[in-house]
Amino acid sequence: MSTTLTADPAARTARPRLLRGLTWLVLRQHRTTLCCVLALTVLGSLWIVYQRAQLIDVLDAAGWPGKPAPVPVVGEAYGSLTSLLTLLPGVLAVFLGAPLIAADQEQGTAQLVTTQSVTRRRWVVAKLGWCLLITLVACSVLSAVFTWWWHPYRSVLGDNWMDTAVFDVTGPVLPALALFLTAAGFTIGILVRRVLASMVLTLGFTVVAQTAWDMFRDRLGSPRTIRYPLDGSMPARLDDAYEVDRWVGSADGQLYGWGSCAEATEKATNACIEEKGIVDNVFQYLDYDQMSAMQWTGAGILLAGTAALTAFALWWTSRRPL
Amino acid sequence: MAETSNPGGSPGTWALEARGLGKRYRRGWALRDCSFRLPAGRICGLVGPNGAGKSTLLGLVSRQVAATRGDLRVFGVPVGDPEVMPRFAFLGQDKPMYKRFSVAETLRIGCELNPGWDAAAAERIVRSGDVPMNAAVGTLSGGQRTRVALALAFGKRPDLLLLDEPMADLDPLARDEMSTLLMAEAVERGTTVVMSSHILAELEDMCDYLLVVADGRIRMAGDADALVPAHALVTGLAEEGDLPAALARHTVIEKRVQGRQFRAMVRTDGPLSGDWQVAVPSLEEVLLAHLRSQDAPPLYTPGAQIETEGTRTA
Repeated sequence: MSTTLTADPAARTARPRLLRGLTWLVLRQHRTTLCCVLALTVLGSLWIVYQRAQLIDVLDAAGWPGKPAPVPVVGEAYGSLTSLLTLLPGVLAVFLGAPLIAADQEQGTAQLVTTQSVTRRRWVVAKLGWCLLITLVACSVLSAVFTWWWHPYRSVLGDNWMDTAVFDVTGPVLPALALFLTAAGFTIGILVRRVLASMVLTLGFTVVAQTAWDMFRDRLGSPRTIRYPLDGSMPARLDDAYEVDRWVGSADGQLYGWGSCAEATEKATNACIEEKGIVDNVFQYLDYDQMSAMQWTGAGILLAGTAALTAFALWWTSRRPL
Repeated sequence: MAETSNPGGSPGTWALEARGLGKRYRRGWALRDCSFRLPAGRICGLVGPNGAGKSTLLGLVSRQVAATRGDLRVFGVPVGDPEVMPRFAFLGQDKPMYKRFSVAETLRIGCELNPGWDAAAAERIVRSGDVPMNAAVGTLSGGQRTRVALALAFGKRPDLLLLDEPMADLDPLARDEMSTLLMAEAVERGTTVVMSSHILAELEDMCDYLLVVADGRIRMAGDADALVPAHALVTGLAEEGDLPAALARHTVIEKRVQGRQFRAMVRTDGPLSGDWQVAVPSLEEVLLAHLRSQDAPPLYTPGAQIETEGTRTA
């Protein structure tokens, strides 16, 4: 706190200006937002580091990995953290993306800037560039720090790697999702031209997009299939695999639904198994070693969407006055 | 292009040239078939009733509105060319500024975004109004805000200054102060000024050029001094409840017959010969007559006219 107070007047009176032109204007206009996002990133990272240290203490005390980890190994803070990280892209889209250009359109300051000597396109490029950059930095840092924690301890942390609370907040997905939603936010803002309306629409879009993302996430990788005997147990290496579907199958490869021989009595069940010749469990899954490829595929799709939305926003704003 | 005379200005330089300029919104035409030109170095009043198309015209010149059709040049450069941008400054009706910026930071916007920024001039304008440099723009009074906005406009060193209803929200004192400041700065630099208002009196003393719009069309364009002498206010005896036939060779802008008397605003074409009383109208009267009678042909003084289809020479 005291450092910001002393640094501020010094920065203001400094004659050789560090920042120039549109960079200065955009940073000055969004000074508060910038500080909030940076504070969020730093505090969030510190919180993750702190929780990680706590987990390590607990595990060391229990003698993990030699002995089983205590249950529950993490407190409620872990759940809050992953929820916050899951919400972060939506929050950035609604509070950073949607008002980015819409606020300038609504308050008329777009007119002020675009009647100086810089073209509309240059100004919009500076604004969108700043917004995407801050989103990328904040989410990359948080994602990296969280992945650094989650990855070595994933076996004790409970969540499956395909859960929203893991897949969407680790690796490249968190920044990519945030960039995509934020780009959607400023595009909606540019089209709607009103701050509140664009924030509401962006929120709606975020909910729809994240729901759709949840539904289609398992299509990012091609599922593998394994057969194991009907009375046998699943191979241990599939412990952290994500189940796509499971069947029962006969020796000749015929598949039957998982419950197709679920009869009222054991006798009837056995008779059914006998009759259909069912010998195997058939398990379709996404293996943990597919996670990285799936995350990068997903991130690629989201980044392509971001690029398309940004290109549309630029085309739209340079084609016609704001 | 500049073959016509350019009274008062240096030859061949036109601050604005519009040819068949039109802008259609979803509701209809805000401005149509707009052709005129404005010599450089003039103080031009853009007059017309509310909703006449004044703001649209200023928006077209300041690149905030894209023309539906027609062609507009600023100092000979098509308005779509970014080269136009450093040459004009625009001061909007509601003077939008970043409310949380201090006055100094607001001036810095001008400094950062304009190549020929004149910091000394901008600061002089702000300081002469006792506006504190570190006050947030949102806390300033209307007059102070206008002063800061004007400082931002003049700091750009524009050749063309566009003002949309600059005095609308000012008290009489601030209004007087602003117009003095405006005239002093404009005259010193030879800046061409276009300012709009729906009140003629506000502009009458300042302007030497007039552009009158109504219903999205140009009604009059030209030197303020030449517009009035082109008209006469004629009073006399009516003939069979109508204007005398002898008056028909002049352009009748507006007529009123009351009993046996008629009273008409005419644009004279040659000497008025008849048993009539002829008076010189005031600028206000000429203006109102033109605004009331939409069918009267628009009046252009020489030089203001651009030869295109659909307009007639005065």
